[in-house]
Amino acid sequence: MSAFTIDEVKKTFTNGEIEEEILKGVNLTLKEGEITALVGPSGSGKSTILTIAAGLQSASGGEIIFEGKDMTKMSQEEIRHIRATDFGFVFQSSHLVPFLTVEEQLQLMLDVSETKTSKKEQSKAIEEILKLVDMEHRKDAYPSSLSGGERQRVAIARAIIHRPKILFADEPTASLDTKRSKDVMELLQELTRTLHLTTLMVTHDEEMLPYADRIITMRDGYIVE
Amino acid sequence: MKIAWKEMKKSKAKFLILGSIIFLVSFLTFIISGLANGLSQDNAALIKDLPAGQFYLDEDANQTYNLSKIDEDVQKKTLADNPDATAFSIQMGFVNDAEDKQHSVAFVTSTDSDLFQNVREGEIILDRTLEDEGIKVGDVLTNNQFSGEFVVKGFVDQQKYSHAPVAFIQMKNYQEIYRVMEMQAIFIPGKDAPTISGVESFSNKEFLNAIPSYSAEQMSLNMIVWFLVIISGMLFAIFFYMMNVQKIGLYGILKAIGMKTLSLFRMIWYQMIVITVVALALSIALSQGFSIVAPEGMPFHLTLDTVFMLSGVFLVVGFIGATISGFQIKKIEPLQAIQQGEM
Repeated sequence: MSAFTIDEVKKTFTNGEIEEEILKGVNLTLKEGEITALVGPSGSGKSTILTIAAGLQSASGGEIIFEGKDMTKMSQEEIRHIRATDFGFVFQSSHLVPFLTVEEQLQLMLDVSETKTSKKEQSKAIEEILKLVDMEHRKDAYPSSLSGGERQRVAIARAIIHRPKILFADEPTASLDTKRSKDVMELLQELTRTLHLTTLMVTHDEEMLPYADRIITMRDGYIVE
Repeated sequence: MKIAWKEMKKSKAKFLILGSIIFLVSFLTFIISGLANGLSQDNAALIKDLPAGQFYLDEDANQTYNLSKIDEDVQKKTLADNPDATAFSIQMGFVNDAEDKQHSVAFVTSTDSDLFQNVREGEIILDRTLEDEGIKVGDVLTNNQFSGEFVVKGFVDQQKYSHAPVAFIQMKNYQEIYRVMEMQAIFIPGKDAPTISGVESFSNKEFLNAIPSYSAEQMSLNMIVWFLVIISGMLFAIFFYMMNVQKIGLYGILKAIGMKTLSLFRMIWYQMIVITVVALALSIALSQGFSIVAPEGMPFHLTLDTVFMLSGVFLVVGFIGATISGFQIKKIEPLQAIQQGEM
């Protein structure tokens, strides 16, 4: 089942009088329960397409269809609402809030998404997700006391606690060593399947590609294979 | 607003510094305001304690109390037409005690009225500060312009004029000391302000400004108070701006995960209110404590009305300062924050 469609998306940056076309018409369909990996050399436009799809920057042309609606025609508030409720994000750095404990990070995401309103529901959801990412024992820890791998697991927990439909992961293993990278990818793969997520991941690490269901290669603003 | 509180708990030092500065500025503002009010009372308590009404000065007095002389016919007619009206005069002078020690006073006399102390010829009622200087009821005082003697009949609280204690004397005694028959002003209490020919009318506030030095003194002190209030607002804006700059990454990520910009503003407002309320509570407690331990003779008068009014202004100014600094949050692009790396 198709959950998310990117249709002829273009992106042009203007630097003074020079116009640079980063995306030259990208077409991509993401499927539920699958990890789609975007690979390609630096400057190929893979991170740009991910951030446009995630509603973090606007496209210069084309359509992004999510649940039958074109996101390029939505207001900033509508896009913010989608980011809060239907999208989850895992970044290269964990980007956890430094003054919140692991449990509070997850509670914040539930508050932002307004998906679980009662205290009891929130506690249950937090407990479940921490078990899933194997971090229950560190729920009272602050990010500064976590290892890189633990931080990224918490970031993944934060990205999925509100049960998003699409998970965007931009180089999620870039700051981790090989062992931890594999652990994180196994977790992403398991969560994508069990929670029926639609995952779009950007990576330049070829060792992570076996975990993807589909691999899309980009070069010079185009999808080449 | 749990996130705002959590940040304050985790970054105690940062918020403690901001709170200390707000505390110091507000405490200084309260102290200077207390001194301004104290000096104002010391300068014109006699006039400030009168009820709301209208003052009348000679129209040729150039709006200056000291130059005013009310025509006797005008005075008689006004007092006859307005039963509550009183004519009065105030002049600086001095009295000598039994040991021939001079005490500066402001001699006050008036026609029969409940608004001023009524005394008989040869009697004098003094402000209580003179009791502290050793004068007692029954003491005899003299003045080198007065042929007789004054017997002290009593003391009254908070009756000062031009930083001198007031001395109420009978009109004939006053006329002998100052060699004048006319009174300087007429006061009619109440909202009605009848038009009287030959005189100019003033509200209570306008009349205070007709007292030499009063407005100049008050203007200087009030200017210091309001400068401090404005400076505290600027401090808020600068501090929150600096904190916001440090937190651009955090705000960007919070925006990326879908937090509303209004929620981020609420976070700043919450922190601003907590800091200001705690700082003000401490300032109020200490400034009220200061009014108890202030050195004897220091004109310090800080009412709770003034304290709460200034506190309200501090909160409003702090809110504006924090909000102005928060405008940069609106401009933060989530993408830019993500690309900056770890917070």
